[in-house]
Amino acid sequence: MIVPDVIASYDLVPSLLDPDGFTRRLEEGFAAGRFPDVDIDSVHIEWRNWFNPRFLRTPASSIPEIAGIRTAILGSAWLVLITIGFAVPVGVGAAIYLVEYAKPSRLNDFIQTNIYNLAGVPSIVYGMLGLAILVRALEPVTSGAIFTTGPPPSDNGRTILAAGITLGLLTLPVVIISAQEALTAVPNSLRNAALGLGATRWQMVRSHVLPVAMPGILTGSILAVARAIGETAPLILVGAASFITVDPTGPFSKFTALPIQIFQWTSYPQEEFRNIAAAASLALLVLLLVLNAGAVLLRNRYTRKARW
Amino acid sequence: MVNLPTARQTTRETMEDTQTQAATARPAAPTDSTPADAVMRVEGLNVYYGDFLAVKDVTLRFARHEITALIGPSGCGKSTVLRSLNRMNDLIPNARVEGAVFFNDQDIYDPDVDPVEVRRRVGMVFQKPNPFPKSIYENVAWGARINGFKGKRGELDDLVERALRQAALWDEVKDKLHESGYSLSGGQQQRLCIARALAPNPEVLLMDEPASALDPIATLRIEELMLSLKEQYTIIIVTHNMQQAGRVSDRTAFFSVEVDERGQRTGKLVEFDLTDKLFTQPAMKETEDYITGRFG
Amino acid sequence: MAEIRTAFRQELEDMERTLLGVADKAEQMVQKAVEAFTTGDLDRAEEVIAADESIDETYLDIHNRWMNLMARQQPLAGDLRLMSMLLHVNTTLERMGDQTVNIAKLTRATDGLPRVDAIVERLQEMGDLVRAMIRTVIEAVIRRDADEARLLPAMDEPVDRLNRDMYQEVVKVGHDPRRLEWATKAMMVARALERVGDQVVDIGEQLVFLLTGERVEFNEVGLGGMPHSG
Repeated sequence: MIVPDVIASYDLVPSLLDPDGFTRRLEEGFAAGRFPDVDIDSVHIEWRNWFNPRFLRTPASSIPEIAGIRTAILGSAWLVLITIGFAVPVGVGAAIYLVEYAKPSRLNDFIQTNIYNLAGVPSIVYGMLGLAILVRALEPVTSGAIFTTGPPPSDNGRTILAAGITLGLLTLPVVIISAQEALTAVPNSLRNAALGLGATRWQMVRSHVLPVAMPGILTGSILAVARAIGETAPLILVGAASFITVDPTGPFSKFTALPIQIFQWTSYPQEEFRNIAAAASLALLVLLLVLNAGAVLLRNRYTRKARW
Repeated sequence: MVNLPTARQTTRETMEDTQTQAATARPAAPTDSTPADAVMRVEGLNVYYGDFLAVKDVTLRFARHEITALIGPSGCGKSTVLRSLNRMNDLIPNARVEGAVFFNDQDIYDPDVDPVEVRRRVGMVFQKPNPFPKSIYENVAWGARINGFKGKRGELDDLVERALRQAALWDEVKDKLHESGYSLSGGQQQRLCIARALAPNPEVLLMDEPASALDPIATLRIEELMLSLKEQYTIIIVTHNMQQAGRVSDRTAFFSVEVDERGQRTGKLVEFDLTDKLFTQPAMKETEDYITGRFG
Repeated sequence: MAEIRTAFRQELEDMERTLLGVADKAEQMVQKAVEAFTTGDLDRAEEVIAADESIDETYLDIHNRWMNLMARQQPLAGDLRLMSMLLHVNTTLERMGDQTVNIAKLTRATDGLPRVDAIVERLQEMGDLVRAMIRTVIEAVIRRDADEARLLPAMDEPVDRLNRDMYQEVVKVGHDPRRLEWATKAMMVARALERVGDQVVDIGEQLVFLLTGERVEFNEVGLGGMPHSG
């Protein structure tokens, strides 16, 4: 495989404003004898975007020119799935319980206050929680040992499952709060109407409250998860690998994620790593945009469906 | 074009004509002060919200196939009493009920009684029309479905049609059953809510100021509807409109407010009698003062 | 506690006061009419007929006001019973006026005819009794006194008796054609006065209905007496 040797690179703004300036600099450099081992005639200038399709398809590498973010994207994707799979059902369920079923009491006030507080806890604390409980104490679960009789899928608890649940715990309070808001926004007249017909609470919630609250619940959940995708500190604690080139295959795989990958690349000395770190940041932003747009689309679809 | 109500005399005469065809023997016109056949009875009812006594010591009998009106100034507890009749007060966090409410001689506050079951037999229509954000058809059908309707689609269609006919709404919506309930006018929405409440085929229909949010013509249509419904159901209505109570009810219960030394306002039942009697010759001065507007 | 429905209460009071004024006027008309007939005073008779016109006007006016009040105020309970009484009294007073006009017209018809003193006395007595009844019922209405109203049937008895006995007196002058003509007219005057008496009792019944909600029949359909009319 041909590994390109980077001898100089040129930033975005000058290359847009003064494309020929780079060629001039290169010729000056050759004339000044700065590139002794290179034959000037075999040099050709290729304009390339660090952010290109190959970048997305290629796994990580120690060589910046060929490094890609595939492993990181797949890792982030798995994390999103597990986070949603954990936080949304548990969070929405908790919100439904708190709004529709729980009677006002001091215990409930206590729980409510705690939820608000937990929403503001720094993410690194969740990281420590994940480390201590999910990675260490629950190692048989997060390494997959208890699910198989043979050798465990992972030799320790630093798996996607542990990280996913950690992120899930992180987003859980926000999901609960936004779902609660969506549920309390449903007018009481609807509840009274349903209950007055002799419906049980669950019949009322399922048929009338949830459909009306769904747009708000979905929006809140997706936004909460989008936030979680950008979290770095907890993932570091829970054991995201700093350098991994193998694609994750399941919940018990070792993994990395986009923010981690970006963080790693910015800490390398070579300038090229900064470029691909920038490209990876762009990828992360696009992913966030897609998620937010998805939230808006889903909400619009449900709003049309639920509200006539 | 709906016929606006004539004197109640005429309605009674029509009732007497159909009486011979009716399966159940109904009195031609109520003359007894206390109804003998009471589908619901309230005895010694006290309702508390936390420590606050909202209404005290109510004893009433509601006659079958009659319309009974609960009237009185604001804060007198008439809506509270109404909500006690189908255990909707249970939904208010600190509400507590003392005393008994009998439905067909069964105390509905007995611990063995399921409030959900009570609400299927005793339906409710609210002040502000509150149809579900669903189609007209679904609004009516849902009540039947959750009450365990097991039948083919065709039977459900029949049930929906029956309920909408009973609510005098069928002709206006039969061609747009799958449009949203919100596409109807206020009066139509309220009739939809009535059809919805009738779908589970309750015995008693509670109505909490059902026409107060409607314009006068829509109000009169609802009243006409009530008069036709009482052949099959028993209706108990809370209204702050005395003329309405006069137009539709057979019996009227007048509630008032009592203020104690601490300034707490508790509702109480002042008088309960045939509407004719209460409106021409009330027994209690308080009733007379309220009805003639001598209340400040 | 602020007063409410003041316009309504005001109107009820005004109507009642107007009617009491009419009753007062009716009493004066009875006096004048009896005087006119017993003295053959044609001018007095004309006064009575003229006075009745204003009674008829008031009748129409009160009736209109009654209808408007009914339509607009939906009176109930005590107010409703009062409205019932006012309507009834309005009609009754108008008829009372008509009776006095009858007496006045009979005065015209007996112009120049010789009077019978015994009959004149009786007519004057009837007139006085009826006027006393009118004053009594006015008092009873003002004071809202049902017991006072219950006195009226007893006061009406002598009026009925005098009316019944009038026939005897007429027979006594059967031999004298001109006196007889006057006497038969005088009997009609007595009947008119007897009717007025019944009408006053009727007003008393209305008052009792207002105060107690009971409908009472003070008048009885008795021998030779006029049934409850008015």
